[in-house]
Amino acid sequence: MTLLQSLKNLVRSRSIHVAYVDVGSCNGCDIEVLACLAPRYDIEQYGIFVHNNPREADVLLVIGAYTPGWEEKLEGLWEKIPDPKAAIAIGNCPISGCLFARPHTLVDPPVAKHIPIAAQVPGCPPRPTEILSAILSVAPTVFRDYEVRK
Amino acid sequence: MPLSLVYYAKEFFRREWAQKFFAAKTAPLETPPYFRNFPELTGKTCTHHLFCMMACPAPGAIDVIRTPEGWKPRIHLGHCIRCGLCVEACPNGVLSSGRVLESMFYDNTRLSFSFRIDVDRTKCMGCGNCAVACPVNKLIDAQMSHGGRASTDDLLLKVSEGKCQVLHVEKCTGCKTCEHHCPNEAIRVARLLEAVHAPEEDL
Repeated sequence: MTLLQSLKNLVRSRSIHVAYVDVGSCNGCDIEVLACLAPRYDIEQYGIFVHNNPREADVLLVIGAYTPGWEEKLEGLWEKIPDPKAAIAIGNCPISGCLFARPHTLVDPPVAKHIPIAAQVPGCPPRPTEILSAILSVAPTVFRDYEVRK
Repeated sequence: MPLSLVYYAKEFFRREWAQKFFAAKTAPLETPPYFRNFPELTGKTCTHHLFCMMACPAPGAIDVIRTPEGWKPRIHLGHCIRCGLCVEACPNGVLSSGRVLESMFYDNTRLSFSFRIDVDRTKCMGCGNCAVACPVNKLIDAQMSHGGRASTDDLLLKVSEGKCQVLHVEKCTGCKTCEHHCPNEAIRVARLLEAVHAPEEDL
């Protein structure tokens, strides 16, 4: 890797674009993600910009227990994100289904069955600081050796 | 004019100013001490009552495993919802989480389990599977025959006059073994979880 490439990757890893998708959660984790945007946690001071455009995103936050309505849609959304990319499972639902993973329910957790998950944040819901530190710990690995890999 | 420029330069070329300008961050947010995090072990001895598992609302969040040091509850991340019910339900204070134990002590509250056994006398055919399978019965009368008949009345369950009889319901530990061994679904164990405010004289 040349110096220029590593410099570019360093700069890229300091401006992460995040998209979040709710695949059937109770809305608790969505509110915690929104709390990250608020001044108290202020996710943008770390160079993380949250919007909902998968075409521009580097990191996808997956929230929820994967309801049947998301079959084939989540995979399509994951394909839309340009490389390099990483997905983070926020909360218990995408990890295990938590309270919704009971017999005779329609949810299909874990989300790792459907798209590759890079990091998991357990909690119901997780604290905004935990979400923040998960994104920050994934950020350097997303862009590391990016152009070499390509 | 030149003097003001000097002042400006003095202000903006300070190292603290440059550091603040290029690395503006809020102070790292700390988790407050009252936050009810995932339950942790306090080191007290677990007596394997399994009340934590009975009180837990999330499937697969807690189990009690046998280690060389004794029984030990184990929390599964990704399943645990940090509700703190296992901490409250534990009779020995094996788990702790946030200020749950402290507030239980100051408010003098606790969660108490009681069990009720209902036998449907129209469905029961007196096979005695429940009485034989019951681990409490096994401790009291290890010689119990296969029909569930026994001579003592200290037992929890016993078959007499062709039907299952509940003799000492206060001995029940809520394990539901009888329920799993009943071929007719005639016996049902109800686990009653009550939040108890202990009366003043108990202090």
